[in-house]
Amino acid sequence: MKLRILLADDHEIVRRGLCALLQKHEGWEVCGEASDGREAVEMAKQLKPDVVIVDIGMPNLNGLDTTRQLLQHDPQFKVIVLTITDSDQVIREALDAGARGFVLKSDAARDLVAAVEALQSKRMFFTPRVNDLVLAGFLEKGHAISRNEPPNLPTLTVREREVTQLLAEGKSSKEVASLLNLSTKTVETHRSNIMRKLSLHSIRDLVVYAIKNNIIQVQMPPQFRNTTENTIA
Amino acid sequence: MAVRILLVDDHPIVRQGLRTLLEGRSGWEVVGEAADGLEALDKVDSLRPDIVVLDVTMPRMNGLEACRLIQKQKQKTSGLEVLFVTQHDSPQMMREALDAGARGYVVKSNAARDLLEAVEAVSQHRIFTALARSPQASC
Repeated sequence: MKLRILLADDHEIVRRGLCALLQKHEGWEVCGEASDGREAVEMAKQLKPDVVIVDIGMPNLNGLDTTRQLLQHDPQFKVIVLTITDSDQVIREALDAGARGFVLKSDAARDLVAAVEALQSKRMFFTPRVNDLVLAGFLEKGHAISRNEPPNLPTLTVREREVTQLLAEGKSSKEVASLLNLSTKTVETHRSNIMRKLSLHSIRDLVVYAIKNNIIQVQMPPQFRNTTENTIA
Repeated sequence: MAVRILLVDDHPIVRQGLRTLLEGRSGWEVVGEAADGLEALDKVDSLRPDIVVLDVTMPRMNGLEACRLIQKQKQKTSGLEVLFVTQHDSPQMMREALDAGARGYVVKSNAARDLLEAVEAVSQHRIFTALARSPQASC
């Protein structure tokens, strides 16, 4: 029986590239493609894929929250996170969210097949940098990951994180309500709870919080970027 | 005669996606790939493509710089056109790309929708620009 893979990335051109790569492997099939996290969660519930590959920087619901929601629905889901950066914070959050694989987008052509093979064999797959960080955490502190600062994110509920992302993307309370099938009043209650919990005072503060915590990602023109940095926004 | 295309992007998976899309069209041929602006300049020189599909944000040399230098080589590579495929959904960046000498500008998130039309236009030396919501072709 074929290994069934669900792909979630907001760029169709990237999904095409991933599909071409994965379908070269005999015994694997891409059973579905989603263009954001919300669609990925719905498709995964219906299609029950063996492996879900999620991009971190997706609109509406980012890849980390997609991973959390997938595993909350069914802890048996095996998720590989695709990311443009392997910063300590992103690695911590991906592991906290329950990802079993972590692949840099720039290295996907090299590493993704190995990552899927690892999950197929009930192993995990991480980049060398993740392995180093995990090992350093064990050696220094006796637990899995070294934490220089406590992550801010667990103070928000899953629903509050969804609302945070949508508001930070510029959607109004009414638009958020429509997307999440909630009343506008409920969204406004979530919004004031979020602002209170995080001690934020404006939407601008919320956007900054969302960027700092990888809830949304921003595009930087090349003149503002380190030329060695990689990105697909 | 086939339209010869060079793909330039630092992510192999994006190049693979672009290749899959472009090779579906008869009469178009992807003759090479490059991972940054410097490699693109070498490949323009050696492969003499008709169209360079170029990313903006790349290591070593970004696409805008590469495009300006390709324009300087243009006497040697007459007919060559540059088409940007980028994440930057921004009128300012589009203006910079056209000022650098590009004929086309397509946003990565809509590349699957706009790229074929853009290559068609640019191969006929027409300008094609498409931000996320509004594709526009002009002579």
